[in-house]
Amino acid sequence: MILPLSLFAPLALLPVAAWAVVQPGRRPGLLPKASEAAALVALALATAGLVQLWHGGPAKLTLLDGPIDLSLAFDAVSITMTVLVAFVGWIVMRYARTSLDGERREGAFHGLMLATLAAVLVLVQAGSLLVMMVAFGVIGVTLRHLLLFYPDRAQAQRAATKFAWVWHVGDGALILATLLLAFTFGTTDLARLSSAASGGLPWLGHVAVAFLILTAALKTAAFPLHGWLTEVMEAPTPVSALLHAGIINAGGFLLIRTAFVVQASPGAMAALVLLGGLTALFGAVVMLTQSAVKTALAWSTVAQMGFMLLQCGLGLWPLALLHIVAHSLYKAHAFLSSGAAVQAVAAIRRPGAVAVPSLAAVMKSFGLALVLYALVAALFTLIAGPKSPQALALGAMLIFGVAYLVAQGLADAAPMALTRRTGLAALATTLAYFSFQLAAKEVWGAHLPAAPSAGPLEWALIVLAVVSFGLVAFAQALFPLWAHHPATTGLRVHLANGLYLNALLDRMIGGFQSAKSR
Amino acid sequence: MLIPPTQISPDWISAVLNAAQTACRAIPPAFPLEATVAVNPFLGQTGEDLATASARYARVAGASLTRPRADYAAQIAQSRVTDDDLAAALIACRSPLKPADLALLKAKVTVEGLASPALPTVADLGAENTGTDWPALIAKTFGLWAAGHFDRGQALWSPAPGQGAFAAWRAWATYDLTPEIAGLTGFCAHVAAAPDSAERAILRAADRLGLTEAASETAFHRLMIDLGGWAQHARWLLWQAQLEGGSDATLMDLLAIRLIWEEALLAHTPQIQDQWLGVVSAHQMPVAPTADQVVDTILQDAVERAHQRRLASLLARPAPTDGQQTPKTRPVLQAAFCIDVRSEVIRRALEAQNPAIETVGAAGFFGLPLGHKAHGTDQVAAHLPVLLKPAMTASSRAPAAAEQADRIAARAARAFGRFRQAAVSSFAFVEAAGPLYGAKLVKDALGWQGSVLPQDPCPQLEQALSRADKAATAAAALTAMGLTSGFARVVLLVGHGASMVNNPYKSAYQCGACGGHSGAVSARVLATLLNDPDTRAGLQSHGITVPPDTLFLAALHDTTTDTVTPFVDIPCPDHAADLSRLDDWLGGAGHITREERARHLPGATPQTVANRASNWAETRPEWGLAGCAAFIAAPRAMTSGLDLAGRTFLHSYDWQADPGFATLQMILTAPVVVASWITLQYYGSAVAPAAFGGGNKLIHNVLGGIGVVEGNGGRLRCGLPWQAVHDGTKLAHDPLRLSVMVAAPQEAITNILTRHPDLSALFDNGWLHLFALNEHHIAARYRPGQGWSDEPPIGFAA
Repeated sequence: MILPLSLFAPLALLPVAAWAVVQPGRRPGLLPKASEAAALVALALATAGLVQLWHGGPAKLTLLDGPIDLSLAFDAVSITMTVLVAFVGWIVMRYARTSLDGERREGAFHGLMLATLAAVLVLVQAGSLLVMMVAFGVIGVTLRHLLLFYPDRAQAQRAATKFAWVWHVGDGALILATLLLAFTFGTTDLARLSSAASGGLPWLGHVAVAFLILTAALKTAAFPLHGWLTEVMEAPTPVSALLHAGIINAGGFLLIRTAFVVQASPGAMAALVLLGGLTALFGAVVMLTQSAVKTALAWSTVAQMGFMLLQCGLGLWPLALLHIVAHSLYKAHAFLSSGAAVQAVAAIRRPGAVAVPSLAAVMKSFGLALVLYALVAALFTLIAGPKSPQALALGAMLIFGVAYLVAQGLADAAPMALTRRTGLAALATTLAYFSFQLAAKEVWGAHLPAAPSAGPLEWALIVLAVVSFGLVAFAQALFPLWAHHPATTGLRVHLANGLYLNALLDRMIGGFQSAKSR
Repeated sequence: MLIPPTQISPDWISAVLNAAQTACRAIPPAFPLEATVAVNPFLGQTGEDLATASARYARVAGASLTRPRADYAAQIAQSRVTDDDLAAALIACRSPLKPADLALLKAKVTVEGLASPALPTVADLGAENTGTDWPALIAKTFGLWAAGHFDRGQALWSPAPGQGAFAAWRAWATYDLTPEIAGLTGFCAHVAAAPDSAERAILRAADRLGLTEAASETAFHRLMIDLGGWAQHARWLLWQAQLEGGSDATLMDLLAIRLIWEEALLAHTPQIQDQWLGVVSAHQMPVAPTADQVVDTILQDAVERAHQRRLASLLARPAPTDGQQTPKTRPVLQAAFCIDVRSEVIRRALEAQNPAIETVGAAGFFGLPLGHKAHGTDQVAAHLPVLLKPAMTASSRAPAAAEQADRIAARAARAFGRFRQAAVSSFAFVEAAGPLYGAKLVKDALGWQGSVLPQDPCPQLEQALSRADKAATAAAALTAMGLTSGFARVVLLVGHGASMVNNPYKSAYQCGACGGHSGAVSARVLATLLNDPDTRAGLQSHGITVPPDTLFLAALHDTTTDTVTPFVDIPCPDHAADLSRLDDWLGGAGHITREERARHLPGATPQTVANRASNWAETRPEWGLAGCAAFIAAPRAMTSGLDLAGRTFLHSYDWQADPGFATLQMILTAPVVVASWITLQYYGSAVAPAAFGGGNKLIHNVLGGIGVVEGNGGRLRCGLPWQAVHDGTKLAHDPLRLSVMVAAPQEAITNILTRHPDLSALFDNGWLHLFALNEHHIAARYRPGQGWSDEPPIGFAA
C-alpha cells in the first residue's frame, strides 16, 4: 500500500517552525515566506491524500501497537478535517506573512503558529485517543504562548490564564476518559473502540463517555465555561482565525471520532442535546447585544459550537461534521475580514430605515417557511429516501431561522421587489442546506453511526429542542417590536454581560486582581 | 472623616461646574472612523505652550509630549541637529527654568528626564490598597455600556434610543451585577440612589471627594483621560451639535458617570482617604512645567529648527526655473491637486513628464461647501473640512430604474446580513452558506476582490445655482487656487482618495479637506460647473476669461496605487488627442511616484506597491500623511523641481495677485489650521502613542462602526494606530510641529493674525512655526508672542 501523503502534512510545517527558533525576532528574512510556503505544502499533501483516498480507500498507519497505541487514521472523516485545517492554515499563514510584518517577535509568531497548526493536523488524523491526548496538550501549550504574544497586556494574561485552566482541565478529563476506556476495552485505538462499543457499554464505559463529553464541552467553550473564548481577542487576528476555525471545533471532532462509543450511552446523548441546545441559544442571544465585532464573532462561535454539540446529541453525526466545516470556513473569513466592519456598518445604514415586520407578517412568514420546508423536504425525500425524525427536527429548527428572512420581506414597508428577493434568498438557502446535508450524508454517513431510533427520551429531547428554537426564532422575528421596551432593559444588561458567568469565573480564579498582586 | 463634611457654597458650585466645562474643552473630539479626519489632540491646550501642555498631560495622563532624550541625543550625534540649532532653541526659550548655557543643555541630553506618572484616581489608589484592579473593571463595564450606547449598527440588539448618556448609564448600571461580583458591594444601589441629573451628580461626587475649586479642573481632566476615546467621541457629539448651532451634554454625562465610580470606590475603601487628600492637593497646584519638561521642549524646538534649516537651504538653491524664465507660453496641461503632502510627490512627477505642464495646490474640496448623497442612499455626507458646514447638496443618482434596483439589492443584502446575525437564523446561515466561504477565502487571500474606489454617477447639484451664483462660486474656487488666467486646453482638477480593503482606518487615508471622503465628488462638481457655458459667461464679470477651448476635467488620484483616473463626464470630441496625451503623462507620473514611495514602505517594490491596496492583511497600505512637517504657501515657481520628499503641504499663492489679502486670510485660517491638525495628530500619535494613538492594529476590535478597541475591549482608542507612524524598526513619522512658510509681506500676515486670536494663539504658543518667504529666501521668523525677527535667514550663514 502507498503511504497516504496527508499523514505527512504536519511534518511539512515543523522544519520552518524550528527555523523560527533561530530567528524569532523582527523581519526574520525569508521566514514569513517560508511559513506560507510550508503551509501551502501541507495543503498540497492533504489534497494529495484526498486523491489517494478517492482511488485507494481508507488506511491506517500504526506507529506503535499495544497498550501505548500510537496510530494515525486515514479515512473520509480524517481527510476532510485535514484538508480543512490545512486550507485554513494556509490562508492564515498567508495573512500573517503580511500583517505581522515588523512585529518585535515576528519570527516567533510564525513558529508558534506553525507548531500549533502541525499539532492540529496530527489531532485530526489521530487513530487513537492517546495521539489525540498528546495533540490536545501541545495545542494548549502553543496556543497559550500565542495568546500571550503581547505578554505585557494585563488582559492578555487574564485571558491566557483562563484559557489554560479550561483547556488543561479538559486535557485532564480526556486522560481520565482514555484511561477508563483503555481499562474497559483494553485499547485506545479509535477503530477498535468503535467496534467494541457496538456491543453496549459497561457502567465504566458510561463514565468514560461522560468524561469525553466534559472534554468536548470545555474545549468547544460550551456553557457555562465559555468565558475563555469570548476574551481571547488579545492576540493578533490570525490567531483568532485559527482558533475559531481550526481549534475550537476539535472537541466536536473528538466526539465525532468516538461517535460509536458516545452513541452507546443514551444519557450522554441527552446531555449533549441539552448542553448543546442551551449553549446555542444562550450564545446566539448574547451575540445580539455585542457591539465589538470580534467579541460578537466569539459569542457566535460559542453558539455555533453549541449547535454542533446538539447535532451530535441528536445522532446527526455527518451533519455535525458538515457544521464544523461550514463554520470553520465562515468564521475564518469573518475574523480575517473584521477590519471591514466600519464600512459594513456604514453600508447597513445607507439604504435608510429597516422595514419592521408586524406580528401578522411574522405569523405569515412562519407559515410560508413551513410550507417551503414541507415542499423541499418532500422533494429531497423523493431523491434520497426518508429522513430520521432527528433530521426532520433539525430541518424544522433551521427553517424557523429562514422564516426570519421571509418575515423581513413581508414587512408592510417592504417594496414588492424586496419581498421577491428575500423570498428567493429563503428558497436558495433552504435548497442549499438540504443539498449540503445530503452530500454530508453521502460522504461521511458510512463512517458514522446513524441517528438512534427515537424512543421516548429521544422524542422528548426532539420536542424540547424544536419548541425552544421555535420560540426564540419567533421572538427574534418580532425583535424590533420588543427589544427597546423598558421591560427588557434589565434582560439586555444581563445578557450583554453573558449572565455574569465569566465574571463569576474571574472572581474564582482571581481575574479581577491587579496584575502585580497576582 | 478627614474630608470636611461639605464645602457646598454658591461660589464652589459655579467654580466646580466651570471646571467641569473647562475639562470638557480640554478633550479633543474624535471623528467616527466611518469618516474620520485628523484633529489636533491639543485642541484644548492651544492657549498654553508645549511645555505647559506637557506638564498638564504628565499630570492627567502620565504622558510626555516630547520624545525620549535618547532620540534627541541620537540626532545630535548624527549632526542632524547642530549646536547652532540647540543654541537658537535655547535662546528662543522664554522659560526661567531653562539651562543657563548650551553646555548645560547638552549635558542634559544624555540623561533621561524624570518620568512622571499620572496623578492616581481613587480607582488607582483603591487597586493598590485592595489588590482588585478597579481601573480595569471600570474600563470593562463602562466600555461594555458605552459600546452599546454609541453603537451605530453593529449589534442587532441596541439599547433603547433617545436617552441621554447619563440616564441610559444609570438604567444600565442599576442592573449590571459585574461590579458587585468583583467586590464593590452595593454599587447598583449606589447608582440607583445617585442624583438624577449629571450636574448634581458631579457636584455631589466632587463634594464627597473633597475637590476644591482649584483642584477640580485637572482632577476632572484626569478622569476624562481615564475614559479614553469615549470622552473624545462624546466631545465629537458636542462638536457636531455646536456646528448645527445646538449643544450636547454627553461629555458632562460621562464625567458624572466616572465621578459616581470614584465616589463609590472612596466609600468602599475608606483607608485611602489620606492618600486621596494628598492627590487633591497635588491637583490644586497650578499646572507648570518642570525644568525637565522645559529642556525637552527646547530639544524638540532644536530638532524643528534643524528641519527648517534644511528646508531653507533647499529652497535657497536656485530652482531649475527654465520654464518660468522663458517667455510664458500656454501650458500644455494645468493640474490642480490637493495641498495634501502626498500630492507633492505626484505633482513633481507629473511636471517631469513635460516642462510645459503646470500644477497648482489648493484645499482638496476646492472651496465647494458640499454635502453629498452617494449613489443608492439619501444620507448626506459632508465633503468639506470639519470646521465648516455644508451649504449645497450634490447627489450621484443613476437613472431611476437602476437607482431603484441598486437600492433594493442593498436592502436585500442587508436583510440577508440580519439573517446571518440573528439568533436562530445564524445556524441556518452557517449550514447553507458556510461552505461557500471557502471560495471567498481564496479570493480575498489572493487579493482578487479588487479595491477600486466606487465610481458613482456624476454628482449633480440638487438645487441649481443662479447664473450669478455659478460665476461667483467658480470665481472663488479659481481665485483660491490662483488660477485666473493663462488657462491650458485641459485643466485637471484632481481630488484624491485611497483604495484599500479590510482597513478600519480607510477614511483616515482619504482627503481630509473633504471630511474623510474621496475628493472625486468635489472635483467633479467643480469641473461640471466650470464647463457650464453660463459660468464661463459670468466669469467675465469677475475678470476671469476662460478660453472656449479649455476643458475642465475632474480626476481622482488613488494614493495607494498612484493611478490618476480622469472622469470624462461630458462628451469632449475636440479634446481626444489631449486626453490620450494626458493618459500617457498620468501613467508616467504614477510610475515615478510609485518608485519613490516604494523606497519608504517596508518590503515594497515599485512593481508591488500598488498591490497593498488589495491585500486584506496589509496594516500599512501606504504612509498617508506621515512625515508631514511644513506648509508652503507660495507660487509653485519657488518650489518646483525641489524634492520635498512628500513632507510638505503646498498651497499655490501669489500675494501680488491678492490685493486685499483675502486669499491669504483664507489660507491661514482654513488650510493652515487643517494642516496643523494633521501634523499635530501625527505628532501626538508618535510621541505619546498610549495617550493619543490608536494602538496596535493587530489586536484591533472594531466597535459599533465608530472606532476600535484593543483586544477584548474597554477604552475606545482614537488617533493614529502605531502601524501608521512606525515601520517596525523606527518612527516613519518624524514628529515635528508644522513650519508654515508664507510668501507674503509680514504686515499682511500680522494683520490677519491680529484679527484671528485663535489662529495667532497657535503661533504665539509655538504649536506652529511661521516664516515669511521672500523669493527663495526665508525673510523672517515669527517669534512666538514677540512678532517678526529678520535675523539673518537661517541656514545661509555657511
